[in-house]
Amino acid sequence: MEEFDLLVIGGGAAGMAASLAAARRGQRVLLAEREARLGGILNQCLHSGFGGGLTGPAYARQLIDRVNASAVCVRTGTDVLRIFPDRTALLSSRTGLERVEFQKCILASGCRERSVWSLPVAGSRPAGVFTAGTAQKLMNLGGYDIGDGVVIMGSGDVGQIMARQLAQAGKRVVAIIEQRDQLGGLPRNRRDCVEAYRIPVLLQCTVDEILGAGRIRGVMVRHLPTGRRWELPCGTLLTALGLIPDRALCRELLEDGALPEWLRLCGNCDYVHDMVDSVVREAAQTAF
Amino acid sequence: MEYTDVAVIGAGLLGCFAARALTALDIRVTVLEAREDVCTGISRANTAIVYTGCDTKPGTLKTELCVRANRDFGRLCRELDVRFSRCGSLMAAFGPRAEAVLRKKLDQGRENGVPGLELLGPGEARTMEPGLSRDVTLALYAPGTGTVDPWELCIAAYENARANGADFRFSQEVRRMARTESGFLLETTDNTYAARVVVNCAGLRADAVRELTERPTVRIFPTAADYLVLDDTVSGFVKHIIFHEPEEKGKGLTLVPTVDGALLAGPTERPRDTAPDWATAREGLEELQALCAQVVPGLPLEETIRSFASLRPNPYAVREEQGQWVREGRSISSFTVLEENGLISLIGVKTPGLTCAAALGEYVSDMAARVLGQPGRNPRFDPSRRGIVRAHDLSEADRAALIRRCPDYGQIVCRCRDVTLGEIKEAIRRGAVTLEGVKRRTGAGMGRCQGGRCMEPILELLAEAQGVPPWRVTGDGGAAMVRGELRHGRV
Ligand SMILES: Cc1cc2nc3c(=O)[nH]c(=O)nc-3n(C[C@H](O)[C@H](O)[C@H](O)COP(=O)(O)OP(=O)(O)OC[C@H]3O[C@@H](n4cnc5c(N)ncnc54)[C@H](O)[C@@H]3O)c2cc1C
Ligand SMILES: Cc1cc2nc3c(=O)[nH]c(=O)nc-3n(C[C@H](O)[C@H](O)[C@H](O)COP(=O)(O)OP(=O)(O)OC[C@H]3O[C@@H](n4cnc5c(N)ncnc54)[C@H](O)[C@@H]3O)c2cc1C
Repeated sequence: MEEFDLLVIGGGAAGMAASLAAARRGQRVLLAEREARLGGILNQCLHSGFGGGLTGPAYARQLIDRVNASAVCVRTGTDVLRIFPDRTALLSSRTGLERVEFQKCILASGCRERSVWSLPVAGSRPAGVFTAGTAQKLMNLGGYDIGDGVVIMGSGDVGQIMARQLAQAGKRVVAIIEQRDQLGGLPRNRRDCVEAYRIPVLLQCTVDEILGAGRIRGVMVRHLPTGRRWELPCGTLLTALGLIPDRALCRELLEDGALPEWLRLCGNCDYVHDMVDSVVREAAQTAF
Repeated sequence: MEYTDVAVIGAGLLGCFAARALTALDIRVTVLEAREDVCTGISRANTAIVYTGCDTKPGTLKTELCVRANRDFGRLCRELDVRFSRCGSLMAAFGPRAEAVLRKKLDQGRENGVPGLELLGPGEARTMEPGLSRDVTLALYAPGTGTVDPWELCIAAYENARANGADFRFSQEVRRMARTESGFLLETTDNTYAARVVVNCAGLRADAVRELTERPTVRIFPTAADYLVLDDTVSGFVKHIIFHEPEEKGKGLTLVPTVDGALLAGPTERPRDTAPDWATAREGLEELQALCAQVVPGLPLEETIRSFASLRPNPYAVREEQGQWVREGRSISSFTVLEENGLISLIGVKTPGLTCAAALGEYVSDMAARVLGQPGRNPRFDPSRRGIVRAHDLSEADRAALIRRCPDYGQIVCRCRDVTLGEIKEAIRRGAVTLEGVKRRTGAGMGRCQGGRCMEPILELLAEAQGVPPWRVTGDGGAAMVRGELRHGRV
């Protein structure tokens, strides 16, 4: 069994920064990333605004170059399937299934998006409903057209960024629907994405029901203070309902709700960050 | 025109198991299914319970088949390589009305020959199922109750029937049927079939199919049902199937810890017109949430990952009144199996139709054999089938060996449920043509992200297999998931 001082799970901004910091201190580090390349969520964020004026991939490039120049042992295309209490982990890749041994572990697995199906939203389950991040990935990495006449449910940053991107791509954004009395997300995104592109916003409203049999044809909107309901036709629904730290891997390791002392969380897996610079800064400090 | 001995209409659980049983005979069997794959009707959306037979009246066909089917279920699942969990059930009462129902079910179950039934006091019940509300007053324990993945079971029956020679034709909706001297002539959208015997397993449309040649006597009046699914993170919270027998009128709640570790809550009962077919209703979902909180108060409802709806095919006797067919009395509770000069119809088979699917398949195959003059056995019939290997369920050593043989099993596609590329490719090779087809065969896309991460690679694999661009690949409802390429390539 291969042995490492530190196993870092996830090669996004957080995992890369934590690996670099540990390697600088002379630790033998294994960085495992399930995707074919490092970068995490940065890879699909083609807008600029990372670390000043860089795009996501450009920001990632800087970190990747540093990782490649360091002593960090990188395995891409490698999923960590399980972490065991005896400080071994099970890794799966096309080259095989293996266990590695480690002293410490940093979980930097990022976050996942809350899906609309987890809410008591009634109706059918038609085509044309995506989380904002999935839509972003489909468009930016896959080059796919996800549809027109877009309603965005929830006003998280990812949703606002997608509203701008869709508007730039010549799509009609029907509305952003937000249940609170103001938009969520960074003020910057409100200004540059929603106001600049005159995206209609429905505040204090929610989506009650999804309409359509094959493809989505509309949503039932409810105005929360009055209970008034109306049908809003649309061809696509994106949901930006919030991000949840993805900690599935450490669920079985909790002892009375606490992590073992050899395991730490960092980046979006610790809590959801707005800015990548703070992810990188904290990750460097998280390293044991 | 194509000739066959038996035409089975519909490829849900009943059609697939009828076909499987029929292929044990030395005859030609053709299955005509309106949709693009098996298991797209009621068989895809139900409570997934293997019942014991204590809920139905002694001496009926339903009871007889159910008790037998339950006893034989382990063997069936071993034969078909299908996961089956005999987790047992607790029927919980919260007051005198429900207690009386439990006592009656105990007596009835014993009379029906259901083994192991036991009444438990509140203390015992809560020792077995600690999450159960403190308000429980009595529980009926049935160790024989189990759960199975209805998709897996239906697909297994289909694959086994196909391997034994049944000819499945998809996108073949039977629109016309006529009697001829030698049997039947069936017209689908684009083909004609001649068959000596017809086995009508058209689910919600079984009455309509029968009426292509017969006068109405039974009709289906559907009601709707809603369900919630909780993530496998709640696995272990509920260990047994829980039937909540409500004190007031109403449907109560059923909780099922499924074979893949998720928790199913439902079904509600509401009129069909409260929502479009197969769509959930808000009131239904809210009712389920409230019932969950009452029956298992600590249940983390925030772990909900999905909801879905179904339709119950309630059969009623009908009579003509001023040119209209109106229903009479209460819904027929027995299994309605009609044989009318070579037309065998299963009409309105509700619960426990999943439990009894194999038994009903044999029942109608015996009927067909009588009509056909007792043909010989198929000498090549083999009742066993192997499922798609689930890397997740293998031991570490076996999983490692599998990856060495085929690297595709080392690459994870669905992260929530740990489904590998090898499994997805195998599902497509075995006939999946939609995202849901892959999901029903492998579990990919059923987890907490609901396909958010694995939809794209699966779309691309389906597209490659079908030789079409990804925007031609459809979901269950017939619509494409993505619309096309972006005009300017990547933005
Ligand atoms: C849409 C969006 C827009 C943003 N825009 C900006 C912006 O404009 N400016 C800015 O400064 N910040 C922005 N941010 C915030 C910031 O970029 C992110 O918070 C940061 O990149 C997150 O890094 P991370 O490493 O924590 O997570 P991620 O980038 O998500 O990395 C997690 C990695 O872990 C891998 N992984 C997970 N589980 C496993 C496993 N079991 N085995 C192996 N690998 C695994 C994943 O594949 C992934 O690569 C944005 C964030 C989002 C989501
Ligand atoms: C809400 C609910 C919960 C249930 N829970 C349980 C349970 O926990 N345990 C249990 O044992 N049983 C349960 N059942 C019963 C069980 O699910 C059904 O008995 C079983 O699935 C019926 O299968 P089927 O093949 O008749 O119907 P379906 O699966 O609906 O199949 C019918 C097929 O016929 C096709 N078809 C229709 N018309 C035509 C045509 N003209 N030409 C060609 N094809 C056609 C359809 O496309 C469809 O594929 C439940 C039922 C419901 C409704």
